[in-house]
Amino acid sequence: MSSKLMSEELFADKKTGFFIYLFVEAIMFTTLFATYLIYTPPQTGPYPGELFEWQTTLFASLFLISSSGTLLLSEKGLKERKMKLIVAGVVITFLLGAGFMYFEIEEFRKFITDGHVVSTNNFLSAYYVLVGLHAVHVTFGLGWMIVLLVQGRLLPFNLFKEKHKIFNYYWHFVDAIWIIILLVVYIPYLF
Amino acid sequence: MEFSFNGKSVFVPTDVIAGWLSVLIITPIVLYIIIKNRYWSTILDYTTTTNHRKIGTLYILFSMLFFLRAGVDALFMRTQLLTPENEFWVFQGEKYNELFTTHGTMMIFFVATPILIGLMNVAVPLQIGANDLAFPYLNLVGFYLFLTGGTIFFLAFFFNAAPNMGWTAYAPLSTDSYTPGPNNNFYIFGLQVSGLGTIFAAINMMATIIRLRAPGLTLSRMPLFPWATLITSFLILIAFPVLAIALLLLQFDRLYDATFFLGELGHPVYWQHLFWIFGHPEVYIIALPAFGIFSDIISNFSRKNVFGYTSMVISLTLIGLLALMVWVHHMFTVGLGAFSNTFFAITSMLIAVPTGIKVFNWLFTMRRGVISMKAPMMFALGFIPTFVMGGVTGVMLSSAAADMQFHDSYFVVAHLHYVIIGSTILAAFAAIYYWYPIMTGKILDDTLGKWHFWLFLIGFHLTFFLQHLAGLDGMPRRVYEYTQEDGVWSYNFISSIGAYLMAVSMLFFLWNIIKTHRSGAKAGDDPWDGRTLEWSVPSPPPEHPFERMPVIDRRDMFWWSKINNKPLPVAKNPRPSPIARRTFQPMFLAGSLFILSFGFIYGWVWVQILGGILSLSTFVIRAFSDERTEAYKREEEENEQ
Repeated sequence: MSSKLMSEELFADKKTGFFIYLFVEAIMFTTLFATYLIYTPPQTGPYPGELFEWQTTLFASLFLISSSGTLLLSEKGLKERKMKLIVAGVVITFLLGAGFMYFEIEEFRKFITDGHVVSTNNFLSAYYVLVGLHAVHVTFGLGWMIVLLVQGRLLPFNLFKEKHKIFNYYWHFVDAIWIIILLVVYIPYLF
Repeated sequence: MEFSFNGKSVFVPTDVIAGWLSVLIITPIVLYIIIKNRYWSTILDYTTTTNHRKIGTLYILFSMLFFLRAGVDALFMRTQLLTPENEFWVFQGEKYNELFTTHGTMMIFFVATPILIGLMNVAVPLQIGANDLAFPYLNLVGFYLFLTGGTIFFLAFFFNAAPNMGWTAYAPLSTDSYTPGPNNNFYIFGLQVSGLGTIFAAINMMATIIRLRAPGLTLSRMPLFPWATLITSFLILIAFPVLAIALLLLQFDRLYDATFFLGELGHPVYWQHLFWIFGHPEVYIIALPAFGIFSDIISNFSRKNVFGYTSMVISLTLIGLLALMVWVHHMFTVGLGAFSNTFFAITSMLIAVPTGIKVFNWLFTMRRGVISMKAPMMFALGFIPTFVMGGVTGVMLSSAAADMQFHDSYFVVAHLHYVIIGSTILAAFAAIYYWYPIMTGKILDDTLGKWHFWLFLIGFHLTFFLQHLAGLDGMPRRVYEYTQEDGVWSYNFISSIGAYLMAVSMLFFLWNIIKTHRSGAKAGDDPWDGRTLEWSVPSPPPEHPFERMPVIDRRDMFWWSKINNKPLPVAKNPRPSPIARRTFQPMFLAGSLFILSFGFIYGWVWVQILGGILSLSTFVIRAFSDERTEAYKREEEENEQ
């Protein structure tokens, strides 16, 4: 009874499965947000207000949020089947994502050199697990983009399109999580 | 036993030595059987296939092996408790803690959960007219993750490092201040890896049921086992991620000196919340598929459609929803306050309502039916009274005030075995007898099946009924000893006898499988005169059995097509099927995660890095060897013409 192409049906399967997977990720992050809220502010210092710097957070956010925008360029290319636009979109997104990671690592490095490590207090433990897991997701996304660029040359277009779209859902999801991190982890203690 | 090794003396308990010896004895025997019968090609076939039926069979096979291991643990416990102040072998103190931890964890995570996932794999696609699960490759990955997790946990004992903090891993006992050493790291990584596999299986099941049903098979016409699978998958998707994060936090406590669950700043009770937010839905994750199995079996062997189909579906959904809001009933004695206890007592009691509806529906399904007493039906009949008894004690326990007395006593042990063995294990046996023709093309011996059933059921009630009484007399759980004056000797003695009887019944089951394999008759197609779609295909079904896709326009369509002597109508242009492949990649991933886990368990950083690189490389290998490449190429070429 199917009037659709095979690739369209199989893509719809995959999309269903991947959205269910993102639901699983959402539950994991929800649990970590709960953990962070329970242990923050901590009973003993250092307190989040003393550690966070608005410049780092602002730059990191600008990079990551704009990377979701540039990925839309690539999606436009996907629709029009323009390989150049697709590649350009992915490369810019990659660079912005890498910029985000620079600020993240800078923040971690600064905390650690100041002696604020995982075992310092529960706020920091929760912070490292939550923000760290998000950073791992961004890093995984960066590696994924490199793979995607190679796949663009090797795979039949419809399959590449499918993989690209799945990646887009992932990247936008990771971005959305960052916005919640901003709201829960940083903003209440920056002002 | 003391050994001197490199001038150092090493102490190894005799049970570990016995374990290694048994491995040394069993391995050559197994190898001999494999070589003699030339099983290599079959093994290669099953370990690299993405076919749902074969993967399901593997799930069931390995769950049964873990079942034997955890069962032996249970027998050791019952032997230690046989008489007052008994000293059986080495199983006192810490060793006994290791026994009940391994027993509980294995039975829940590596027996009950995967055996049901295996049965879903075997039956659900066939019941909904799908040629395979939506993601065949992911399915094999999920199986290997379960196997890896199970193996990691299984091996702990052989390194004399079995986990010893109870299957609930309550903090602060589970943190490294109180249980140092690698023991409980095995628990964390065994569960983390297999839990991921369970999540993948649930995603796969859900996507399959949403997307791949036969034309016309609306949700309201779907058999009840796929329905139960759908609700169960939803519960898994909520419960298992919470467990994953709880284990991650515990890992940070144990390995990186965080204090989430420890010390003055940490909250041990937070672990309990996280664990039971996972743990209570888990109880329904292993019970709901059992309900689905029994609904199908009772309907089939009564030759009647399920009574109250709609209310069956609604009560499955209600149980699923309520399952998410009852977790605090495991924590009544923590002292969370009267309001919290009252709220969770009421939600817990409410679960009895939809469950009661199901029980009555099963009874009414049988009423005026043409009941045939085959082994699967016997298990279903044994299930109903057993499970009702477990349900009644469940309502007793849900009363928060009374629970102050019941808590941590053998009464709880009796209750949980009544519900879990009563539903999950009896359902697994029933389903194995019922779907054996689909798995292997042969049919199990019915007489031996009945022996298995009766010995198991009698042994079960002997073992666990008296534990209610021992519990009411004040016997706490997780103790390896009691005295003559405690007055619980007779209960424990009979209880142990019952456990041995259950072990004997398992021998009948084993013998049945061996006998059937050697000389069993071919089952033929549709051996039970079935009602649902899985019986409309040959047994065992070929890969992609629905090349002629049936069109469904009512419940139990296959049955009515037989009654009305009209073949199932065939869909003209069905949707494309998932694409099968042969692959070693999931096996490679399993090996990588195995290395990674051992790196973490023993704190070897270089092993962690190696395992991490290998695991991540699987993603890259997979990215460039997608089984759909050829099919997509072909499609593009056709479209260009």
